[in-house]
Amino acid sequence: MFDRIPAQTLRLLILLAVFAGVVLFFAAVIDGYLNARLFNRISTSVAIIALIATGQAFVVLTRNIDLSVGSVVGCVAYFVGGLLALWPGMPPLAVALLAVLIGAGFGAVNGFLVARFGLPSIIVTLATLAIFRSILVQSSDGASITTDSLPAWVPGFAQANAFTLGELQLRWMVVVTLVVVLAAHLFLTRLRAGRRFFAIGSNPDAARFAGIDAARTVFLAFVISGALAGLAGFMFLSRFGNITVVAGLGFELKSVGAVVVGGVNIFGGSGNVIGVLVGAALIDLIDTSLVRWELVSEFWREAVLGLLILAAVVADALLSRRLMARRRRAAAGAAAAAPAIGEGRT
Amino acid sequence: MKLFSVSALALGAALAGSVAFADTIMAEKGKAVNMVLLPKFLGILPFDQANRGAEEAHKELGNTGTLLYTGPTPENSVAGQIEILTTATSQGQNVVMLSNNAGDQIAPAAEAAQAAGTKVVTWDSPIPSGKGESLFVAQVDFGSIGTVMADMALSIIGPDGGEFAVLSATPDAANQNAWIAAMVEALKDPKYAKIKLVDTVYGDDQSEVSYNRALALVDKYPDLKLIMAPTTVGIQAAAKAMQDEGLCDKVKVSGLGLPAEMVSYTLNGCAPEFALWSFVDLGYLTYYTSYLLATGALKGEVGETFNAGRMGDFTIEEDPGRAGAKRVLMGPFTVYTKDNVEAAAK
Repeated sequence: MFDRIPAQTLRLLILLAVFAGVVLFFAAVIDGYLNARLFNRISTSVAIIALIATGQAFVVLTRNIDLSVGSVVGCVAYFVGGLLALWPGMPPLAVALLAVLIGAGFGAVNGFLVARFGLPSIIVTLATLAIFRSILVQSSDGASITTDSLPAWVPGFAQANAFTLGELQLRWMVVVTLVVVLAAHLFLTRLRAGRRFFAIGSNPDAARFAGIDAARTVFLAFVISGALAGLAGFMFLSRFGNITVVAGLGFELKSVGAVVVGGVNIFGGSGNVIGVLVGAALIDLIDTSLVRWELVSEFWREAVLGLLILAAVVADALLSRRLMARRRRAAAGAAAAAPAIGEGRT
Repeated sequence: MKLFSVSALALGAALAGSVAFADTIMAEKGKAVNMVLLPKFLGILPFDQANRGAEEAHKELGNTGTLLYTGPTPENSVAGQIEILTTATSQGQNVVMLSNNAGDQIAPAAEAAQAAGTKVVTWDSPIPSGKGESLFVAQVDFGSIGTVMADMALSIIGPDGGEFAVLSATPDAANQNAWIAAMVEALKDPKYAKIKLVDTVYGDDQSEVSYNRALALVDKYPDLKLIMAPTTVGIQAAAKAMQDEGLCDKVKVSGLGLPAEMVSYTLNGCAPEFALWSFVDLGYLTYYTSYLLATGALKGEVGETFNAGRMGDFTIEEDPGRAGAKRVLMGPFTVYTKDNVEAAAK
């Protein structure tokens, strides 16, 4: 019965099953776990990391990795916050656009170094991770951005609900993220320009023979990653208000985690950004829930989280492999059966 | 009007000095001492304030040597501190003033520094074992921080009692751990019998982690009355989280915070009381102590009394929290409420 479902959809369904399993598990061990508040917590907290992970997915699809995203988020949150303190009258849309542009600028630096000179992205972005953070530390001069220095609409945006259903709230920032993820999904699956990212990742040589500009595609992937990290930086500013130089620290690992758990092949070429969204939500769910689970002490939380991520990935890989094998057998069986029928006719 | 300062201990120390009939050691101005001020990491306000105090003392003493303010970037704090201390040693710097974030891991580097003639004076956060450390300039008596936090908890929760939880920095921060231990000790007094510490979680001194931990605490303990955060990052993240969720009437926030960052939360009642000492003064006193040690005026032995410019006289004493280690106790600290926070925030 699974034979007709495309492989990516199958992966997504398995991931959703794992997600549901984790929710049920925590619901069983934590009192008063399943409620509207849980949805509000996870959805708002995932909004920021899911944006970054979506950008990361573009990069990973092309067989690269962007480790600098955490520093980009921090820089954008800080610089945009600083500009807003100077010119509080800037229109909201212009501010968001500015955040995206600054982020895209950082992404372009990575993209240029990787695509133009063919340098390994893990080294380039490891370096820019440190460089961007140092730029932030040097230019901040120790001052932090505080909520008071921002116009009221900035922290207000993170709190604004698109709609509420009883206790259930859907914040605007969650809506923005969902729209971005959906747009990215449609772009990657429906448009020729989007398919190029898969082509470069699955077989760079074949892609080049097919006339795809590899350098341009990789460059674009980094620019998209930077731009989405920039948008995430604006949301970070809006949600947390007080920005110090440590803002966004560690987001690179979280985003790569979400991408991998979300079923994007770390060696490029296959994946689905809807899966990345679910992956980000799964990691956040586990992280938030473990704090509430009495059995796990603070010191073990990180280790347990790591184990659960590993388990999720292994379970996903094993299940997909088994289903793929069964499908191959079924296909082989059908192929063997077909000539037999033909022979009967003659 | 609740504006109390815990100055008894500082007063006691000053008296002990005069009782010993020791001559007060004065600094000889204009010597060349090369000094390094090494914070936990660069880019946050308290450490910059400490640097301001050190620079003030540097000018006042007419030091013809250099004062270098340098530290690791936030993501590289532990390894970076050890590296900078080692580099300072090989450069032949006279003193390194260290706010230790590396626990006892830094002790071998500090011992090597001492052996090579570079003094190591800790401030803000000591080396837990005291190994390799000439002296620790303590902002306040660590035991009295415990009492003040317990008092603030009692005053906010009220005589009917209730549950509260601690939101700390990193699990291995020497100063926070010592303060929490001191508070647990203080809570044994029968007058705190009705307030109950239910949990300690760690926000890693990052806004988003602290913010999410604060919300998780509220979810985990439905009857929680107070979150006590002995870290300037944690306290404002927790206050923002409670304000954002409209929980300020139910769950208050207290701890150690910077007036400039906390003023709005104190005025709107989310964080009615919090405490802190002056980091400018701490930097100033640390500088004086280090200068005197490096010039040989101060031997660094228990009972020595010295003059620290505008801050008056101080005496070296045994550190009650760390056997065999020596400290200079600054004190006092101020408890901020809506009555005095605005003036301090400017």
